[in-house]
Amino acid sequence: MADTVPDEVHVTGTLVWYYHVCPREAWLMSRQLTPDEEDDNIRIGRLIHEESYVRFAREVTTAAGKMDRLVRRDGQWVVYEVKKSSRHEVSARMQLLYYLLQLHEDGVEAVGELHFPEERRVVRVTLGPSEMCEIQNTVKEIQTLMSQPLPPPPKRIPVCRQCAYAEFCWA
Amino acid sequence: MVEKSLYIFSNGELKRKDNTLFFETTEGKKFIPITTVREIFLFGEVTFNSKVLDFLSQQQALVHYFNHYGYYSGTMYPRERIVSGDMILRQAEHYLDTSRRVAIAQRFVQGAAQNLRRVLKYYQGRGRDVENPLDKIESLIPSVSSYDDVNQLMAIEGNIREAYYQAFNSILSNAYFRFEGRTKRPPKSPLNALISFGNSMLYTTVLSEIYKTHLDPRIGYLHATNFRRFTLNLDVAEIFKPILVDRIIFSMIDKGMLKASHFVKASEGIFLNDAGRGAFVKQWDERLQQTIQVRELGRSVSYRRLIRMELYKLEKHLLEEKVYVPFAARW
Amino acid sequence: MFVIVMYDVHVKRVAKVLKTCRRYLYWVQNSVLEGEISKADFAALKRELAEIISPDHDSVLFYTFRTTRYTSRESIGIQKGGEDRFL
Repeated sequence: MADTVPDEVHVTGTLVWYYHVCPREAWLMSRQLTPDEEDDNIRIGRLIHEESYVRFAREVTTAAGKMDRLVRRDGQWVVYEVKKSSRHEVSARMQLLYYLLQLHEDGVEAVGELHFPEERRVVRVTLGPSEMCEIQNTVKEIQTLMSQPLPPPPKRIPVCRQCAYAEFCWA
Repeated sequence: MVEKSLYIFSNGELKRKDNTLFFETTEGKKFIPITTVREIFLFGEVTFNSKVLDFLSQQQALVHYFNHYGYYSGTMYPRERIVSGDMILRQAEHYLDTSRRVAIAQRFVQGAAQNLRRVLKYYQGRGRDVENPLDKIESLIPSVSSYDDVNQLMAIEGNIREAYYQAFNSILSNAYFRFEGRTKRPPKSPLNALISFGNSMLYTTVLSEIYKTHLDPRIGYLHATNFRRFTLNLDVAEIFKPILVDRIIFSMIDKGMLKASHFVKASEGIFLNDAGRGAFVKQWDERLQQTIQVRELGRSVSYRRLIRMELYKLEKHLLEEKVYVPFAARW
Repeated sequence: MFVIVMYDVHVKRVAKVLKTCRRYLYWVQNSVLEGEISKADFAALKRELAEIISPDHDSVLFYTFRTTRYTSRESIGIQKGGEDRFL
């Protein structure tokens, strides 16, 4: 039996986000078991993403994944993260903290901004000592989960109704 | 997601025009909204250039083409968009390890047998005398798990089908559709022509669904894999043949929707003509859009989506997360 | 969902609007298209059209139905277009 645990679980911002939405989804994602690409919600999310770019210029790709935007404003580095709705604000905040942590480890002190263009809302996120602790623990948890040979069993949560994996999980 | 099939029976030219599809015949022209097309079935003589092929690949639409007699000739299967190396490794692993391969092959045979039995039960409920074939199938089902060789499994599957075919003349009262044994390549009776054509519609439909998953259609478990052609779709089709193909054939004959004028005699065999294929395909398309309730999911899904979910169950079996239990029709 | 689109736009922009609609819907007759469409495609179609039309002179209407069909459609005269997947 091939050991199909990825050699080194490469945590990315997106994975941090999925982990908070649904750990099972994050595990499947880490194995490239991406859901049916044509799911409506995924596509609408992508549309909003593209739309925000008309205003927001280009995304920045780093080892930590794709940041929506990194800019220097008033002498301060700011990371933007654009989301469809604030329904998963907690997950989005963790994703942003992960980017801030990565930047911090690269010697760049930045602040984060969560953008919800549909709601015309911006949330500021900063990486203080307690947030640092919180995100570092999360990364450890994710690495533990990803090294498991099996995904966590499906749990029925509100997200299931909208999830592209639903048919996979409940088949 | 709107995904529809396009069926082309006329002769003509398929073009890419204004970033969408355009079909031109001597009779007229028609635009087809590309965003809704997931697969195209070509029954007529259709010409198209490489620009169209490239466009269809970009749109991830499959093209299934059939020859003049309605024989399936092949599929244009675009490069997969969603690939998981992990899944392909597992798929191969389960193929290479005989005991694992047999375990999956057994389930395909059992699942098919359960659904064959279900169809006969349904007709028994409607007063047809199908007792002998039914008893035979019921006595064969438990023995499937005792075979640990794929060739033997194929043989037992053949025996189960043989018993099932014995019931056809009790189910169908129309003399034109008498059944006198299964003949393929070429089919030698109208009923055989229908079964062959219906099965190829199912094979291609399952193939289109496999395209939307992480599975490789070239690795099958019951049908011998030779890595040159698609086999996994043949395996999964066994589960759905009785409830999709056979039920459509029976109900169409029952309702008098198929007549002698739908068939043509040619080169040793009997085939459906354009009108016959058109009539069948209309029913086929409707059937795939029909929905049934899936309790675990908490909502209804179409039969087409049910095929997809069957593939997801297989993926979970390969991940060793959940043992594969084939879909069993409940009516 | 099911959608009926009707447009009344300046002659300079008619061709572009029609081309865009044809990628998503079936042409029914002049300035009218209809068809089943996914939410995501509907969002994309509206966005594309918004970029083509002049908001001060043109108008595009979208009638949406939650089901995949309307209850009935009657017509007088010839049938010019509409969904047809059996060619």
